[in-house]
Amino acid sequence: MNDSSAMYIERFNVFQRFLHFLIIISFLTLAVTGMTLKFAMEGWAQAIAEAAGGFAVLGALHRFCAIITFIYFFLTLGMLYRMWKASGKSLAGFIFDPEGLVPNLNDAKELIATLKWFFGGPRPHYGRWTYWEKFDFMAVFWGIAVIGSTGLALWFPEGFSKLLPGYWLNIATIIHSDEALLASGFIFTIHFYNTHLRPEKFPLDPVIFVGSITLDELKHERPREYEQLLASGELEKMVSKIAPAAWHLMAARIFGIFVVSTGSLLIIAIIVSMARYLGGH
Amino acid sequence: MIMKQNNPGLSGIRVALLYGALLLILGLDADKAQALTNDDCLGCHGDSIQTEIFSATVHGGNGCVSCHKEAGAAKDEHPVPMSPVNCGGCHERVAAVHAQSMHGKAVKKGDKEAPKCHSCHSKHEIFRPTDPRSSTYPLNIPATCGRCHQEGSSMTTTHKMREKNVVDNYTMSIHGKGLYKEGLIVTATCSSCHTNHNVLPAGDPKSSVHRNNVVATCTQCHVGIGQQFDKSVHSPLVTKTDKKLPVCIDCHSDHTIARVDKKDFRLAIARQCGNCHGRYSSTYLETYHGRASMLKGGERLAKCSDCHGSHDIMPVASPESRINKANIVETCSACHPKANAGFATYLTHATHSKEDKDRYPYLYYTFWAMTGLLLGTFAFFGLHTLLWIPRSFIERLKADRKNREKQG
Repeated sequence: MNDSSAMYIERFNVFQRFLHFLIIISFLTLAVTGMTLKFAMEGWAQAIAEAAGGFAVLGALHRFCAIITFIYFFLTLGMLYRMWKASGKSLAGFIFDPEGLVPNLNDAKELIATLKWFFGGPRPHYGRWTYWEKFDFMAVFWGIAVIGSTGLALWFPEGFSKLLPGYWLNIATIIHSDEALLASGFIFTIHFYNTHLRPEKFPLDPVIFVGSITLDELKHERPREYEQLLASGELEKMVSKIAPAAWHLMAARIFGIFVVSTGSLLIIAIIVSMARYLGGH
Repeated sequence: MIMKQNNPGLSGIRVALLYGALLLILGLDADKAQALTNDDCLGCHGDSIQTEIFSATVHGGNGCVSCHKEAGAAKDEHPVPMSPVNCGGCHERVAAVHAQSMHGKAVKKGDKEAPKCHSCHSKHEIFRPTDPRSSTYPLNIPATCGRCHQEGSSMTTTHKMREKNVVDNYTMSIHGKGLYKEGLIVTATCSSCHTNHNVLPAGDPKSSVHRNNVVATCTQCHVGIGQQFDKSVHSPLVTKTDKKLPVCIDCHSDHTIARVDKKDFRLAIARQCGNCHGRYSSTYLETYHGRASMLKGGERLAKCSDCHGSHDIMPVASPESRINKANIVETCSACHPKANAGFATYLTHATHSKEDKDRYPYLYYTFWAMTGLLLGTFAFFGLHTLLWIPRSFIERLKADRKNREKQG
């Protein structure tokens, strides 16, 4: 019998890890450059613009990262398409797969079970995707649609205003800016906590960078997935003795902690600035 | 004439008669006619008067006693001290103007430091104002006035001066740079705006720098600007109002006038206009142009004057207005070459605030819909996270204990 703490199972493949890397780089840059403009009256924003060499540099970075965002958006769609084809299911069957990424009734039940767990109940029998992970994934889609379309309008205002009157640019500005606040606020607090900063994982869950978790972790955190894999015989094929390399783990920790810290600093700056702004008005 | 009297045959009576007639014509008595010559004066004052310089000055042809009249009245040694030279004896008109000025009034009040003629013009080195050696030559005027009107002079400690560092500020200003850096003597110096002899406090309605006279003063040189300004909404000729209308110095300042295409001035525009148009200035700062203006490089972004004009601002309804429907696309295209009519309906001053709710309800409701979404999301997940924290601690402790047991 193998020791399940020394057995590994892949949760994210290389392509998925690469996608998340693209998201990190572009999202963080978009957030920093965008918030610098939104909070331009604040000292920290002016310091960032100064260090970057001016608002025009920030604007160029913002647009560059917008392109990366559109790229990973379509890469993700392509990945979902391949996953659908590989699953052999109908489109509806794939989308509404009970273990898929789309929220379903079971998630509502799991939410209630989770709240009970917070107050001392048993740990819910989570599967491959928890409801908060599904929300993260769906939010990125909703966010990109909203922020991407308004962002494009603001990027090409002359063209956009041939389709809709100019005051829609004012509306687009409000939506873009507030959706950005929502997205950064959500990622830099809720996502960071749920995934990395909660005591069980603190300071970082490196799985998104190294790809695999131990069989122990799978059993403990996602018992339903474990049971399903065991029952279908998939587990036998997936399990491996190859641990993530030490350098890989180290690199993941350094990069991950740097990114989480940067995001956290930005959200602190945003909260302080908003408090000052609301207090001063 | 007397020296040439080489005919001893002529009677002494004749000489005396001639002499007497001459004296009568001059209206002087015999004693005084033999008064001091310049050489006599220089006998004592030779060290303090440089005759080569003095003889080249505007007064070089005059004898010492033409100014120092008391000395002229003395036979040999003049009384000490003598009463001051009265320039007004000849320069009547200028003296009268000076007497009415702030400087003249201070002199009259007995202020020992108040500037008299020689304070600016010197005593024995008076040249024409067009002569580079003159203390009133354009290149020298700021230094002349700065002898008193600059921090560090004794005047600034003994007198309360409203304006500080006037000459330093002037030197850094566009006029000062014109004078010192470009060597332009047609640039404005102190006296161009304040006049030379009629210097009055800015609060005096007769002062050349009183609000009501500033436009006239500046447009002595800036004639073309004056013509534009007189037709603009800011001119009292166009707008009849009890409110204060802006004059040149309200936007350009007085001693610190900067180049309008440079960063410092461009970054100050929104604030300058905001002094009167506060709401428009603050709403500008809420929108993209204003926000980005606060960051490095922000001087490049559109400022009030880029859309509204500066000296030629017209009411929106006027076909000459830059933001009139007929012209606005052209105005936008200065920065946005692909601007079109739809683009120009972008609301550069609209906000989602309560004040703008009636004018732009769609902005107000968009903002609050988005805010509702934010608050809802954060309320739900915020609470979710808060409740999770203690549970997560417990889970961590459990896991740690398990690990220790395994190892132990």
